[in-house]
Amino acid sequence: MGFWEKVMRLDRRWVFFLIALAVLIPFLKPLRLPISVTKPVKDIFDEVEKVPPEGPPLLIGTDYAPSTAPELDPMLYALLRHCFATKRRVMLVALYPQGAGMAQAGLDNVLPEFPEVKSGMDYVFLGYQPGIGSVILQMGEEIRRVFPTDAYGVSLDSLPMMEYIHNYDDIAFMMDLSGSSVPMLWVMYAGARYEQRIGVGTTAVSAAQYYPFLNTGQFKGMLGGLKGAAEYEKLIKKKGYTEARKVATIGMDAQSIAHLVILFLIIIGNIAFFASKSHRKKTKLTSG
Amino acid sequence: MKERKGLIIGSVILLIIFIGMLIKGEPSKSILVWIAALLTLFIYSFLYRDNIFYKFAEHLFVGVSVGYGISVYWQNAFIRKVFDPLFITKTYIVDGQFHLWPLLAIVIPTLMGLLMLSIFTKKQAWLIRIPIAFVVGMSAGISVPSTFQAYIFEHTKNTLYITLSISSFIMIVGVITTLVYFFFSKEHKGLLGKTANIGIWFIMIAFGASFGYTVMARISLLIGRMNFLLYDWLGVIK
Amino acid sequence: MNVLLALLFLMQQTPNSLPSDTTEVIEVVRPAPPTDVIAMDTPNDVGGSVSVQWEISEDDGKGLNNVILYNVFRGQSEEGPFDYIGTVGAGRTSYDDQTVEKDKVTYYYILKAQTKEAVESEASNVASGKAAPQWFHHGRWNILILGILFALFFAFYIRMAKGKKLFIRKIAGLDAVEEAVGRSTEMGKPVLFCPGIGYLYDIATIAALTILGRVAKKTAEYETRIIMPNYDPVVMSAAQEIVKQSYTEAGRPDNFNEKDIFYLTQDQFGFAAGVDGIMLREKPGAIFLQGVFYAESLILAETGHSVGAIQIAGTDRVTQLPFFISACDYTLIGEEMFAASSYLSRDPVMLGSIKGSDASKVVIISVILIGAILGILGGLNIGPFGTWFQSLVNWFGRG
Repeated sequence: MGFWEKVMRLDRRWVFFLIALAVLIPFLKPLRLPISVTKPVKDIFDEVEKVPPEGPPLLIGTDYAPSTAPELDPMLYALLRHCFATKRRVMLVALYPQGAGMAQAGLDNVLPEFPEVKSGMDYVFLGYQPGIGSVILQMGEEIRRVFPTDAYGVSLDSLPMMEYIHNYDDIAFMMDLSGSSVPMLWVMYAGARYEQRIGVGTTAVSAAQYYPFLNTGQFKGMLGGLKGAAEYEKLIKKKGYTEARKVATIGMDAQSIAHLVILFLIIIGNIAFFASKSHRKKTKLTSG
Repeated sequence: MKERKGLIIGSVILLIIFIGMLIKGEPSKSILVWIAALLTLFIYSFLYRDNIFYKFAEHLFVGVSVGYGISVYWQNAFIRKVFDPLFITKTYIVDGQFHLWPLLAIVIPTLMGLLMLSIFTKKQAWLIRIPIAFVVGMSAGISVPSTFQAYIFEHTKNTLYITLSISSFIMIVGVITTLVYFFFSKEHKGLLGKTANIGIWFIMIAFGASFGYTVMARISLLIGRMNFLLYDWLGVIK
Repeated sequence: MNVLLALLFLMQQTPNSLPSDTTEVIEVVRPAPPTDVIAMDTPNDVGGSVSVQWEISEDDGKGLNNVILYNVFRGQSEEGPFDYIGTVGAGRTSYDDQTVEKDKVTYYYILKAQTKEAVESEASNVASGKAAPQWFHHGRWNILILGILFALFFAFYIRMAKGKKLFIRKIAGLDAVEEAVGRSTEMGKPVLFCPGIGYLYDIATIAALTILGRVAKKTAEYETRIIMPNYDPVVMSAAQEIVKQSYTEAGRPDNFNEKDIFYLTQDQFGFAAGVDGIMLREKPGAIFLQGVFYAESLILAETGHSVGAIQIAGTDRVTQLPFFISACDYTLIGEEMFAASSYLSRDPVMLGSIKGSDASKVVIISVILIGAILGILGGLNIGPFGTWFQSLVNWFGRG
């Protein structure tokens, strides 16, 4: 059997092993490859910078489950750090049941760095309500209709931050973090009907399908996958907002090496395919 | 035989590396982190071969997910939306006065939802059409104008908005040929067939780009797990 | 000398006026009120809302620059009394009063600017307005027109489909269905059908169940076992009925095993893990992945490929199609799935819908072509085409 035939029949477990090494080694020996910031991420950063400090809040939708947490958690942490460090107010809402847990975990992770930030004054965590589309629509009329209390059972009317906040008119910018099609519902209902400015943080899988919406302006910016999170971390570190561990940035080295390995395997796989095809043709001609 | 030998050698090497990491790093003191890490490794063992550890983890996952799902739906859908408003907070009684419509607004949807269970009977299975018709009708009614707006109008407008440039031309050709590919009323022969062929090229290129983006997403998930194993579990990285 | 200097120093420090016994009055500076307040019915709504608009106060962002918010008051008559109804921040020039109780009743509004020290301005001019519901959203005429046009296409073709046979081209993947089941039978292996993780009201799930009917008929004829794990119990029940009917039509009702069509779990990756386990243990000869899929699609397709099964996939989720195309032998791309199920079932409503959507595509393609030609001519500044092009683009924009 020729070399290329052997490559074609390579046991897939060797491929798994190579990928595992490609991801493991950069963790143990960081390469610190440079990260360049792209426009969709910069647009999100600029939109958050436009949110007035101690004014109308940034609404963050944590519409994801633990299965997409490796890509979306770093975005949540970076957004929370950006806001808390610059005294921008945050409102968190979850349209997935596990999303409430993700939001709470994010707060638990970030709040120890900002002891002066208080619930009800600097941020409000609304919690989870089933209904997705109907929740988005009702929030456009009056938030208290669908969230009479925050996630901790405290009435919204008694929270100082919520005094002038009733619906999307009182929200500066909306950032939806989701690995599914929930951002489309935010665009369709909050964006189209109530003209709320929306940005999206999503997994790399879904990022490709949201580019048309980025072009039309229905999304004001996008954080796509772990790279998007790493770029955002770079921007907030550059401004000096935080010195926290940059989870996404650490992962980008592994991402780059893994991609190179995959590219290499695709190329030699294709060469092997065409080489073995022509070898089979030659063998047929000579034997036939 | 060769595979068995390789497996034993590989396992010994992994064990040595693992013990080394335990000594050098700061392994987690939380039993839950250890359980999560071990279950992660059990699932990953599937990459080598189906085995008893993978089977255990898979069955555990399926069982826990069903139990968790039931409790989430019970708490969030039934208790929050039906039981509490009907019996605890009594939202249909305002200032001591009874209001019929708020009560019906809870009772009627609950009854319609219960009709979904009729599918499990033989004779009354047709009743399930009522709640399905309501859900489909309502979601179609809400989403049709918004879908028209968000998908058809915005995208047609953006495709229309061409400039005298190559990229605009490519975009228009791509949109039209892709739409032609999904034209089912005529056979793909002649000019229509050729246009559809160009369309499938555009579709495949788009899928290739999407696939590439997804590779990044999958590797990111692996990176997330590696971060958990190396940072949260073994503590060998900072 | 020192005493003289001390006296001079003290004289300098003496205030011009002697302190009096009266209480000191701090002058309160009231900000200027907002001006040109008008009130009108909030457009394009269901009633119960009045929109109030105004020009910002002279001390908002300029002048004394001490205005931080505007308080809105409403009364039933021009002379008052006016009750507080809401607040908006500085810089804003409009407020929607959504607490109006009666439509077509005149309400009167005044505004007062307020500073950080809770000092309010004088009241602005009184504005009056009534709330009223509208039948139509005037900004969405374009959606209504196009929606009615497309609906007419559908109605026309569904009517036609009930009368005569309508032509839909055969989808390439459909021949593979028979080939796949035949291959499975030859190898003595079962067929696995996975309907995805959608619900019964998802169109792709309905299309998948139609394809299931065809597959089940083939497996009944060839006496091959069909295994179907399900994500949703309602879909499972519907599937059991469909497969039972297919077995009855094929004349093999006794071979139908209800236990082979079962519920697994409603967790996405739990379902994927479970189906993977079934694929590895049962080693099916043919795998059908039809319906709604999300991220678990590649896990399923890759495992299916590793057991050597022939795989036929179909989904309308654009993000999952690349995985199915690379890992499966045949893929029904998006709408091809609906066309395939229409082709198989010959149901007039489904056939008419496919033809209707084809007609809608012709409209969209025509609009794009006309727009492109107008745009090119307009870009070259030829005649009035530039204006026509802009009008066409604006018509598609939101009103």
